[in-house]
Amino acid sequence: MDVIRHHGLAAVLVGAFLLFWVPMFGFPAYYETFLYSIFFWIAIASSWTILGGYAGYFSFGAGAFFGVGAYTTATLTTWYGVPFLWTMPVGAILAGLIAVAIGAVVFRLNTLRGELFALITLAITFILATIVSNTPLDGGSGVYLLSVKVPRLMPSTNGTMYVIALLLAAGAVTIAYAIQYSRFGMGLFAIHDDEDAAEVKGIPTFRYKLIAFAISSAIAGAVGSLSAVYVGYLAVPDTFSLTLPLYAILMCVLGGRRHWLGPAVGATLITVALNLSTSGADPVAGKAAVAAAMVLVVLLVPNGIVAVPRGKKRGVSEVAALASAVVPPLPAANTDGKVLLVCREVEKSFGGIRALHAVTLDVREGEILGLVGPNGSGKSTLINVVSGHFRAGSGTIEFDGTELRDLSAHAIARRGIARTYQIPRPFERLSVLDNVALCASFGAGTGVLAGRREAAHWLDFTGLAGKAEALPSELNLHERKFLEFARALATRPRLLLLDEVLSGLNSAEIEGAIALIRRIRAGGTTVVFVEHVMRAVIALSDRIAVLDHGMVIALGEPQATMRDPKVVRVYLGKASAA
Amino acid sequence: MPSVTLLGQAVIAGVLIGGLYGLLAAGLSLSWGLLKYINVSYFALAFLSAYLTYQFGTFNGIAPWWSAVILVPAFFLLGVLQHWTFMRLRVTELTSLVVTFGLAVLIESLIQWIWTADFRKYESGFSGLTSKIGPFFVPTLDFLALVSATILAIATWSWLRWTYVGKALRAAAMDPEMASAFGIDHRRLSFLLSGICSAYAAVAGIFIALIATLAPSEIGTWIGVAFAVVIIGGVGNPLGALLAGILIGFAESVTMAVTQPAWAPLVSFTILIVLLLWKPRWT
Amino acid sequence: MAKYMIRPSRRAVLSSLAAASLVSAGRRVYAAPAPIRVGCTLALTGPLAQTALVHKLAAEIFVADINKHGGLLGRSVEYVLYDDQSRADQTRSLYEKLITVDNVDLIMAPYATAATLAAISVAQRYGKIIIYSSMAQVYLATYDRAFPASHGGPHPEISNPKVILDAWASTPHPPQSIAIAASKFPSALFEAKGVRDLAQKRGIKVAFYLEYDFPSRDMNPIAARFKDANADLVWLGCLGVEANQLIEAMTKIDYKPPRSFYLFPASGPLASAPGGEGATAFSNYEEHPPMDKFKGADVLIPAFHERAKAAGMPYTRVDFQAATEFAAWQMLAAAAQATSSLDDAKMADWLKHHQVETVVGKLRFNEEFNCGDDLSKVKQVQKGKWQVVWPVAFRQPGTTFIAP
Repeated sequence: MDVIRHHGLAAVLVGAFLLFWVPMFGFPAYYETFLYSIFFWIAIASSWTILGGYAGYFSFGAGAFFGVGAYTTATLTTWYGVPFLWTMPVGAILAGLIAVAIGAVVFRLNTLRGELFALITLAITFILATIVSNTPLDGGSGVYLLSVKVPRLMPSTNGTMYVIALLLAAGAVTIAYAIQYSRFGMGLFAIHDDEDAAEVKGIPTFRYKLIAFAISSAIAGAVGSLSAVYVGYLAVPDTFSLTLPLYAILMCVLGGRRHWLGPAVGATLITVALNLSTSGADPVAGKAAVAAAMVLVVLLVPNGIVAVPRGKKRGVSEVAALASAVVPPLPAANTDGKVLLVCREVEKSFGGIRALHAVTLDVREGEILGLVGPNGSGKSTLINVVSGHFRAGSGTIEFDGTELRDLSAHAIARRGIARTYQIPRPFERLSVLDNVALCASFGAGTGVLAGRREAAHWLDFTGLAGKAEALPSELNLHERKFLEFARALATRPRLLLLDEVLSGLNSAEIEGAIALIRRIRAGGTTVVFVEHVMRAVIALSDRIAVLDHGMVIALGEPQATMRDPKVVRVYLGKASAA
Repeated sequence: MPSVTLLGQAVIAGVLIGGLYGLLAAGLSLSWGLLKYINVSYFALAFLSAYLTYQFGTFNGIAPWWSAVILVPAFFLLGVLQHWTFMRLRVTELTSLVVTFGLAVLIESLIQWIWTADFRKYESGFSGLTSKIGPFFVPTLDFLALVSATILAIATWSWLRWTYVGKALRAAAMDPEMASAFGIDHRRLSFLLSGICSAYAAVAGIFIALIATLAPSEIGTWIGVAFAVVIIGGVGNPLGALLAGILIGFAESVTMAVTQPAWAPLVSFTILIVLLLWKPRWT
Repeated sequence: MAKYMIRPSRRAVLSSLAAASLVSAGRRVYAAPAPIRVGCTLALTGPLAQTALVHKLAAEIFVADINKHGGLLGRSVEYVLYDDQSRADQTRSLYEKLITVDNVDLIMAPYATAATLAAISVAQRYGKIIIYSSMAQVYLATYDRAFPASHGGPHPEISNPKVILDAWASTPHPPQSIAIAASKFPSALFEAKGVRDLAQKRGIKVAFYLEYDFPSRDMNPIAARFKDANADLVWLGCLGVEANQLIEAMTKIDYKPPRSFYLFPASGPLASAPGGEGATAFSNYEEHPPMDKFKGADVLIPAFHERAKAAGMPYTRVDFQAATEFAAWQMLAAAAQATSSLDDAKMADWLKHHQVETVVGKLRFNEEFNCGDDLSKVKQVQKGKWQVVWPVAFRQPGTTFIAP
């Protein structure tokens, strides 16, 4: 698979290299301008997909950043006489900086996802347009750039424009490619599928979104800068337009928005179609035909023409080989009883409801601690607070001497705490192997390849090696739970938080899971687990903690603790009430 | 300093245009929130309805209210047909955006083919009607649009909130599997809703014909503001869409009355951003 | 409904195409020279399509007529038209195509400012002569083979406002105050600023000067401001239907300004608007005496009525858009005929030193930016029809400028 995809990029780059010399051959200039428009859209669509397709943050703001680039060039060239080529990077950087400023505010709010993010970018487009239109930058009269000198990179002006657009397009596609197959790209894909889970798995989601937004916007800014000089005349409504992001989205959806080559394919098809419909005899029919064709293609290939490569099915033996190849054994079990995690007076409220109250608890290195209690007693909340999914209201949480309370979830994950979700939350569009590799890569801080090897090992460990190339949706519940294990283990955690991993499993499956947890602990990992299946709790735990109404009411050796009168009251009271 | 008359008149104008925004955005809001289709073809359908109202009124002598009697049921059926087609073709939330955009372009092309790109104005004879309240004037057609929008929005909202069918629809939107486990036939209900969305477009179109001048390219000028209205009002909430429409209309209108009108988009969209940052989910 | 479909026109187009091919086939038998191909794009789809259609009809009328009379320089003329989709980048690309792939003999400019500028820059690169008919800011066309057919003189920002204010100054009670609002559209803005400056210079009080967003969805607040200012002259720098929107908005709040001027309104809708009576606007041509006797008017007017009706357009009278496009073709033909060549340099040189009789009047091109006189006029809606009311020489006999 790697070979195929590297060939793909190589083909694109060789193609770009050959196309580079086109202006030397003196073809009719029309072909240069025609190809220019294709390159223009390839660059815009590829830049859109980095945030919109990879990370799933649909932006309607391409016009805004395109406009920033265009007006930067217009202002610098016409007011200050700065050479055109110098203004392009300035426009790109300015667009990127504005994106960072916007993102720094918007991405902090977990509520501004999906359509709300789209709306914010839409609003920014209108706001920037209004500002440019009402200030001397444009003032509403438009800016005329035909007198701007274009450097002679090629025999003709058209040729120069063509070559710059070609370089931008090739650059954008290469960037999209490089991101897709990097750790960063994997992180973006994970953000797309489940942002909260991604953060908990060690992905710095805020920073990644910011970087993706900045790269995407900077490319749009560079294209805007070029376009300003190409068209020679800027007007606010045409520059800060909705048409630009709309076409970019159409191209990405058509071509495949989760693949580096998808936007380029979509952009080429739609641009060619638009050019075919320029006949003066029946332009309306032409326009309608393009629209109809677009609808048909999307209906036929809903995921885009270039879908995410599922690769060839890797055999079990191949994954096993990957697994056995490298992975060093886990550190030996450490049972000296050193305290690993200390919670002191931890409080957490939701609105008026106190979910955790004065929770004080220590977890010793190498032990298995069971967390039990009736529904709503705060067990899962405790896990969510320790893993950083929620921030504690007050109190301290110390892990191996480090205060966790003010750390973000991904930073906590990188310090060696992993968790599973009660309802498995795999990244649905990534293969099982990639799901685990991603967690390995981010949690343990390894590279992509090392992550894949690590992942193969843990798939083997959890018995999922045969499903490595499957999508999570193709797994049954039992397998999905084990995938949660594998994802958590792949980060090589020192502390593993398990949230009701046994619920919904049949008794044979529970036996398997119990054996697995024992093996995990044997490997040296400390385990805290929330569980309702008391048989498993008693069988597994070194100690148990009982929670009720957000408070720890008992803590100690399992048999004795369960006989504690307070605990009995909680459970029997519950039972008699039911 | 602007006079009280000017301010009052601007407030009235803003609130009234909000009714039209609300009508136009309702279909998108409902289908996005409850059918999971981001259907932008409603804007084109609204203009189709507007052109038909113009055609009936100008060349066939059919009064706009009779047009409504014809168009609303016809568009209801059109919406049902559209939904049936989408379900048959397995359109998803994401592809719906492309499919309905394509559909909107097709409808726009149809309009341009039949009525040319030239401007059309429906001279209904009602456009000048207005009533005087104190120093202020309330234009009748705009007021009727607001009243219709309000009645429809409250009716739809109550229907969704209080009736079994409405609750079932909302439940199905949140979790289709769970809803079907309770025996809710999501498919049948969704046809009803898709018809309603399209009927909203028909009503919006009739008022557009009465109030505005028509050109195929005008379809695009409403999309930006309608999206904003839908999202501020809360996706899937017709009453929210109406209130958001009024809010945006009000903000733009007052800005245009007291400062350089060209700054109006800045004010309304800044309000939007501030609201989103401050309290993103109040619906 | 069916009767308003454009089927008839499509049939007409098809049959004329068939006829054209028959004619050319017939000529080929006699080894007639190849046709002169004139290339052009127009915004046939997209936001500018309303007016572009008018230009298309006017151009087709000219081409049909010249071919009926033996063509140009003994060769028939072929109109090569593309749809630029109202996009400037597409326009540029299509002009490259016309020149480098289709190898047309001559080119004609597209519709609207941005597209015109894009086309001029291509023309400049190949040294082609280009005549444009819809760009008011002539000072942007610094290319010395670019010629305007829309005559506003070399400094329209000074001369146009003068025409407008002179017109009103000629009335019994000239306005003492003016309220100005303009669309954020380049040509509207520079006219608006010109009027503001000139009004101040002439001691007319400027109640306000506003700019609003283009395209405008809502003219109600602007109407309220006009009413509030209650100036003697309402001056709107509008495009398309904004004039109608404003008039309706003013009617709704029971305000009828004593005098009103609309810069570039959609002619049909404004003339037929209930509150449109008495409204004035910019023009350089209306199809009534004396202008209906200008050169080519006898061809343009009846043919335009017929074609516009067949195309299903609601307003079929010739206004300045159609006339200016027609005049542009008259200029091109005149230059070719006079120099007996299609050589761009010769034609451009001839135009600079000669006057051309066109449907909009006698044009000359020997001033800055290849401009001549400002032939701008003011027209007024009278009984549902546009009448030129200023300058007086262009008034239809028996009409007056209706003003307080």
